[in-house]
Amino acid sequence: MDLVSGIALGIETAVTAEALMYCFIGVTIGMFIGVLPGIGPLAAVSMTLPITYYLEPMSALIMLAGIFYGAQYGGSTASILLNLPGTSTTAVTALDGYPMAKQGRAGVALFITTITSFFGGCFAILLLMSFAPALGRMALAFSSAEYASIMFLGLIAASTMSLGSPLKGLVSVVAGLLISMVGMDPTSGHVRFTFGVLELQDGLNLVAIAMGLFGVAEILKNAGKPDRPTKDLQKVRLRELMPTRQDMAQCWKPAMRGAGVGSFVGILPGAGPTMAAFLAYAFEKRVARDPSRFGRGAIEGISAPEAANNASTQAAFIPTLSLGIPGDAGMAVLLGAMMIHGITPRPEFFSTNPDLFWGLVVSFWIGNLMLLVLNIPLIGVWVRILTIPQRILFPAIIFFICVGAYSVNNNTFDVMVVIVFGVIGYFMNLYQYPTAPLLMGFILGPMIEQHFRRALLYSRGDPWTFVERPVSAAFLACAVLLMVLVALPALRGLWARVSRRETTTRF
Amino acid sequence: MTAPRNGPEIIAAGVVTALGLGAVWVASGYPIGTLTRMGPGYVPIALGVILAVLGVTIAAGNRSAERVRLDASLRPFVFILGGILLWALIVDWLGFIAATAVLVVCCASVERGTTPISILALVAGLCAAGYLIFIEGLGIPLSTFGD
Repeated sequence: MDLVSGIALGIETAVTAEALMYCFIGVTIGMFIGVLPGIGPLAAVSMTLPITYYLEPMSALIMLAGIFYGAQYGGSTASILLNLPGTSTTAVTALDGYPMAKQGRAGVALFITTITSFFGGCFAILLLMSFAPALGRMALAFSSAEYASIMFLGLIAASTMSLGSPLKGLVSVVAGLLISMVGMDPTSGHVRFTFGVLELQDGLNLVAIAMGLFGVAEILKNAGKPDRPTKDLQKVRLRELMPTRQDMAQCWKPAMRGAGVGSFVGILPGAGPTMAAFLAYAFEKRVARDPSRFGRGAIEGISAPEAANNASTQAAFIPTLSLGIPGDAGMAVLLGAMMIHGITPRPEFFSTNPDLFWGLVVSFWIGNLMLLVLNIPLIGVWVRILTIPQRILFPAIIFFICVGAYSVNNNTFDVMVVIVFGVIGYFMNLYQYPTAPLLMGFILGPMIEQHFRRALLYSRGDPWTFVERPVSAAFLACAVLLMVLVALPALRGLWARVSRRETTTRF
Repeated sequence: MTAPRNGPEIIAAGVVTALGLGAVWVASGYPIGTLTRMGPGYVPIALGVILAVLGVTIAAGNRSAERVRLDASLRPFVFILGGILLWALIVDWLGFIAATAVLVVCCASVERGTTPISILALVAGLCAAGYLIFIEGLGIPLSTFGD
C-alpha cells in the first residue's frame, strides 16, 4: 500500500467521532498525569491499561498512545516551573527551562517546548509513515537468529542507555528476563518458578508489575514528605507566552537537529526518550558558539531536547509496530496492551491490519495537534494542577492502582503482586538500579528465549549461526558498539550531571 | 581509589548475587537439555549465572560510588502497603466502599495537613468516581457493599 492511499485509509479510520473522542480523552489524561510530578508516562499507561480492556482494539490503542505522548508533553511543565521534572526525560529540559522561569520567561519557555515538541513529534511521524512498512517488508526475511540478535541489541540498549550505572541497568534487564520466566514455558509446557502458587502458572501480570514499580514505589518514596514548595510558582499569563522574533530565530535550527537525533534514538530498539533528550542537549552544547550560556536559560537548551524526546517517542513506534520489538519501556507496555487485545505486531502487520496501522498513525497527528491546542490556552490550568496537595493526590492514585489491578483478572492476587513490586521498585530506586529496563526484560523475555532456542535448534546447536548470518551479525556489532560508546569518558561528564539531578527527582 | 567501601551498596549487590544463585538453584531442578534442544532449565540457569556475576562485579568495583542515604522512614511502608493489603482483603468481603474508606484513611494519615473532613470528602469522591467508571462504566464485578 502506498503512502497516499495509506493516509486516506488512516483518515477514514481515525477521523470518526468515536476515534476522535478516545484520542482526546487519551491526550487529556496523559497531559494531566504528565503534569503531576511523581508519576510519569509509564505509570500513566499502566494505570489506564485495565480501562482499555473493555474497548475496541483500535480505540484502546489510540487512547493508550495518546496518554503516552500526552504525558511526555505534560512532563516539561513541572520541570520548567518548579525544577521538579515529572519524568527523567524532562530532567534535561529543567537544566535550561528552570533558569528561564527564574528570569521571568516561564511563559516563553512553555510555549517553545510545546511548539518544538509538536515539531519533533510530526517529524518522527513522517519517518514512521515512510519507513515502518519498508522495515516490515525487510523483516519478512528475518529468521529466529535475527530476531534473537535484535532483541539482544534492544536489551543492551535499554540497560546501558538508562541514566546511571550501566552494570545496574544490566542487572535490571536480567532480573526482568528471569521474572518473565515465571509460569508455563511455552516450548515444553514445564512450569517454572511458581513455588506451587496456582495463580503464577500464567505468569506475572504486566499491569501489576508496572503499577508496582512505577506507581507504588514512587509514592512510597515521597509519602509523608512535605508538599512541594509551590509559593514561588509564577503566574503564567497568556500574553507572556509569545516568544520574541529573536527567540524563534534561535530555536528552529536546534529543534530540527533535536528531531533528527531523537528520531534516530527512537528507532533504535531499547533506547528511549531520556537518551534522546540527553544526546540532543549534548549535541547542541557542542555546536553552540558560546557553550557557557547553557544551564543559564539558553533557548537551544530546551528546544532541542524537547523536540528530541517527542520525536523519539513517536519514532519508537517504528520497531514496535514493524518488528514487534519495543523501542523503550513505554512501548513495552503498549506492546503488552496490543497483545492483550490479540494484536501481535510483526512484519505482516502492515498487510494484515493496514487500517489499524494507518489509523493509529493518523491519530498520532491528530493527537499532537490536540495537545498543541490544549496546551497553550490552558497553561493556567496545568499550572494549577501542580498545586494539588499530596494528601489528596496520593490516596487517589493508590485507589486507582488498587481497582485497576483488581480489574485485570477480577481477583485480589494481582493487588498483592502490586505490593511486592512496589517494595522491589522502592529498593531499586533507593540503590539506584533503574526500573524501566526490568520492564523491557519482562516483555522481551519470552520472545527472546523462544527465538534463541529455535535459532539454535535450526543450526543444530551451532552458536556461530548468530555471527554467520550477516543481518544478525550487524545487530550484534551494534550491541558491542553501544557497550564501547557507553564506556567513553567524553559522555561521562554530562551524564553524571544529569544523573545527579535525576536522583533528586521522581520518575 | 581511597574512598571508603560503601556498605549498603555492597549489601544490595550481595542481594543481586543471592537472587542469581537462587535462580540457578531452583532452575537446576528443571530439565536442562542440550544446546540444540534446550530444556526449560537452560536459559534460567544461564540468566542466574549472569545475574550472580553482575552482582559480584558491582560489589567489587564500587569504591567511588555515591553513598546511599538510608533516610527511609517506616511509616509510608506500614500505612500505604498496609492500606493496599487491607483493601485487597476487605473488598471481596465487605465491599468496595468499605475497602476504599479504609484505604484512604491509611494513605492519607501519612500526609501532613489531613483533616477528618478532607478524608471524608476524598472517600466520597473516590467511591463515586470508582463506582461510575469501574462498576457502572466497565462492569467490573466488584460488590458495592459486600455479600
